Amino acid sequence: MTVDMSQFYEVFFDEAEELLAEAERLLLAIDVANPDNEDLNAIFRAAHSIKGGAATFGFMDMTEITHVLENLLDRIRKHEMALTVEHVDAFLAAKDVIEMELDGHRHGADVDQDQVAAVKTRLASLTQAEAVADSAPAVTPAVPVETSQVSAHVVAPAAALPPPAEGLTQFNILLPELKEKDIANLQEELGLLGEVAASKHESGRTLFTLNTDSSESDIVSICSFILNPDDLVITQAGVNTVPPVDAVAIAAENTVGKTDEAADTDAGSKVKVHEEAGYGLFAEDGKEAVEEGYGFFAPFTPHADAQQSLKIDDNTAPISQEEIAKAVASPVETVAAASKAPAIAEKSEKRNPAKPDAGHANAETTSIRVGVEKVDQLINLVGELVITQAMIEQRINALDPIHHEALINSVGQLTRNTRDLQEAVMSIRMMPMDFVFSRFPRMVRDLAGKLGKKVELVTVGAATELDKGLIERIVDPLTHLVRNSVDHGVETPEKRKAANKPETGKLTLSAAHKGGSIVIEVTDDGAGLNRDKLLAKAKSNGLNVSENMSDSDVYQLIFAPGFSTAEVVTDVSGRGVGMDVVKRNIAAMNGSIDIRSAMGYGTTIAISLPLTLAILDGMSVSLGSSVYVIPLNLIVETLQPRAEDMKTVTGEGRMVHVRGEYLPVIALHALFGQETEILDPTQGVLVLIEAEGKKAALFVDALVGQQQVVIKSLETNFRKIQGVSGATIMGDGSVALILDVPALIQMGQTHNYLTGATSFASKAVQTISKEYTQ
Amino acid sequence: MNMVAEEVEGKAGQGGSVAGEFLTFVLGSEAYGLEILKVQEIRGYDAVTQIANTPAFIKGVINLRGKIVPIVDLRVKFNMGKVEYNEFTVVIILNLGGRVVGIVVDGVSDVMQLEESQIRAVPDIVASIDTQYITGLASVGEKMFILVDIEKLMNSQEMQLMDSVAMH
Repeated sequence: MTVDMSQFYEVFFDEAEELLAEAERLLLAIDVANPDNEDLNAIFRAAHSIKGGAATFGFMDMTEITHVLENLLDRIRKHEMALTVEHVDAFLAAKDVIEMELDGHRHGADVDQDQVAAVKTRLASLTQAEAVADSAPAVTPAVPVETSQVSAHVVAPAAALPPPAEGLTQFNILLPELKEKDIANLQEELGLLGEVAASKHESGRTLFTLNTDSSESDIVSICSFILNPDDLVITQAGVNTVPPVDAVAIAAENTVGKTDEAADTDAGSKVKVHEEAGYGLFAEDGKEAVEEGYGFFAPFTPHADAQQSLKIDDNTAPISQEEIAKAVASPVETVAAASKAPAIAEKSEKRNPAKPDAGHANAETTSIRVGVEKVDQLINLVGELVITQAMIEQRINALDPIHHEALINSVGQLTRNTRDLQEAVMSIRMMPMDFVFSRFPRMVRDLAGKLGKKVELVTVGAATELDKGLIERIVDPLTHLVRNSVDHGVETPEKRKAANKPETGKLTLSAAHKGGSIVIEVTDDGAGLNRDKLLAKAKSNGLNVSENMSDSDVYQLIFAPGFSTAEVVTDVSGRGVGMDVVKRNIAAMNGSIDIRSAMGYGTTIAISLPLTLAILDGMSVSLGSSVYVIPLNLIVETLQPRAEDMKTVTGEGRMVHVRGEYLPVIALHALFGQETEILDPTQGVLVLIEAEGKKAALFVDALVGQQQVVIKSLETNFRKIQGVSGATIMGDGSVALILDVPALIQMGQTHNYLTGATSFASKAVQTISKEYTQ
Repeated sequence: MNMVAEEVEGKAGQGGSVAGEFLTFVLGSEAYGLEILKVQEIRGYDAVTQIANTPAFIKGVINLRGKIVPIVDLRVKFNMGKVEYNEFTVVIILNLGGRVVGIVVDGVSDVMQLEESQIRAVPDIVASIDTQYITGLASVGEKMFILVDIEKLMNSQEMQLMDSVAMH
């Protein structure tokens, strides 16, 4: 299945940008001596969300750095270490780097990999420094560390090993505190990948230097046999093909530095080569590297100056790329190069801003980000306009069509235009769930691969339309839920086989309208939730639980902040953040979340969202002086019963006989205590409704008509009313209530309404309704 | 919540300072005042859509420029005044921390600036309005205005305007 992920990039970019801005705001406002837990959690969640999103889209560079950031934040959040000014500085630096990477993916702007690595190291060293050795509380200088310093001091011990041979990469691997035996084992294992040298890092831990042609992930996978990969700090000391910048500069000066023009361009080429080097991906010459890129953004166009410089090289002297490459290949001290890098980085930063500008302009004109309130206001205004237009039309009908022909034609035109306008405005907000669902196949595939599981993803109801505001906000929670299901829900193929289940797990995402809400479900056929484990964990976390809590209460525990029963924290999940974010986000949308689970059979997490602003096809019916709207999809048919079709049980419990079926009659006027003149179903209309597998006949006065209505929440300014799922504004500006059909059927059952005056509730209602009618 | 009370306490020492501006309205033969900042607009009484199974003082909901706004008749709630609906019936639309609610009163009289020195404490009395919602009594000339903490009143359980779970 191929999905064009790029259509969703924009959403992620926007989200990430907002999260970063928010994190920065919180960081800047934080009180270092006495940080607010809520703020720390918020920053942590921001990092976590960005990481999740980045992983979904395969922006691994962003995932990596946010992961390191998250580790450190997690420690601070759990009060395992105290927040210091350094931390805040490092976090801000990390934020800048993530933003830079984001821009890189978004507009193809240049990403300064040295800066990225430096920040990563800085974060990692902060994490390690305090966690490992109490005796050495400040390995890193107390003053905010300059990026150059960090890269220099981490790189320095690398001298234990000679610079890597051609085609090899030198990695510095900083281990956490380990037993001697483990270190020896690890050294042996890593020896399989290439040349290894061990040295002591100033923090007292062991630092391996490894020359290898393997990638970082290979190292991680080897190390993970012995230690937790999260505690590992791997930095790339240098690729031997990295052109030591000064060497390039010298070469360039020697060869082409004759004319003024050439001297000018030499800065350009220097910068360019440096940038490419940062990716650490390219093989022989610059061009290939450019093409490789990350594969995510438009091909990198070499700096105009640089291209020019190559041309000039060709003209002025027959030395160009090969010459430079030679200069590069000659053994140089990578350390020197690395330590000089930041200086160059500054230069490149200065040069960069001009370039992405064009990309910026383009990206911004294709879509505009507008506040939801503005769109809502627009929708409301158009609604008003439609009503006014209907009024004009009514007036026009009273006029003499011959005398006012022109006017009538103009109003006809206005009617059409208004309708088009309304449709256009409405469509701004509605989007199919597919927009969300189609993000997941890739993510599930990647996750399953990473975890060694087999998972098949099935989506149901992708065409269900949902308000854009909700769509955007449902993405994050759903991502968390899907990750959780794949990570914790679905078992490994071996376990599944042992449990007599097919090796491939099934993950179902579904969306459907149900009783005035949209229900989105994430279902897996995995192991299910373990009640005892949840209770035990809750107890150890100091939560107030008891053995005789109901299952659903126990399941709700997983939404408590910091609650995770996963033994190992992976970069997929298990940290215990996800679920409380999910709950928070859903609650913010006025939705609810429900868990059904059976040990060994799987788990379903159902998110139920209100239909605010969703559009509904409805049938309006009249009852006395009021109009109610019934969702059309829940109506089976409408009929006017004959007297002989009406049956009773014990003189009460009225039923209607429809084609061999006996259906209970629910008199809406009795249920709602509304006065009406039509008390005999044979004089009114029975609307056969069906919901959740149950059928009933709703007795109303008459049908008014079928129309699309915009659902408005009653709860915004009021509260939930039983039997009513929302309200809508009719063509004449009046408010009509939308009936909650499943609730009505239930109410009809519990109260057993008949003629409208017998049951207890309707009596109470009647006294009220007397007061109602002034 | 208790903004007026806070202001009263906060400025009590200064004497003669301004306690705030109040919109005064009439219920039966009594004059009431509520903080002007809570008022969004004042409008006539339109047809409301009745809501099933709600107390009588909740008249129903109206469409206020696209918003569904509940309307409460304080006259019914406190058994005051003649409950009739005509072109002189006034609805005060309140904006209480984002929630919009309309209240029906007998009439709106004035906007007054009250000073601390004019506000008296509420004695212990028995009335259909709980004294906890009255922040003070203002005397202006011969008249007495009952200052109501309208936000607290509207958010209270007895008004049944909010979901019981959402109540604090």
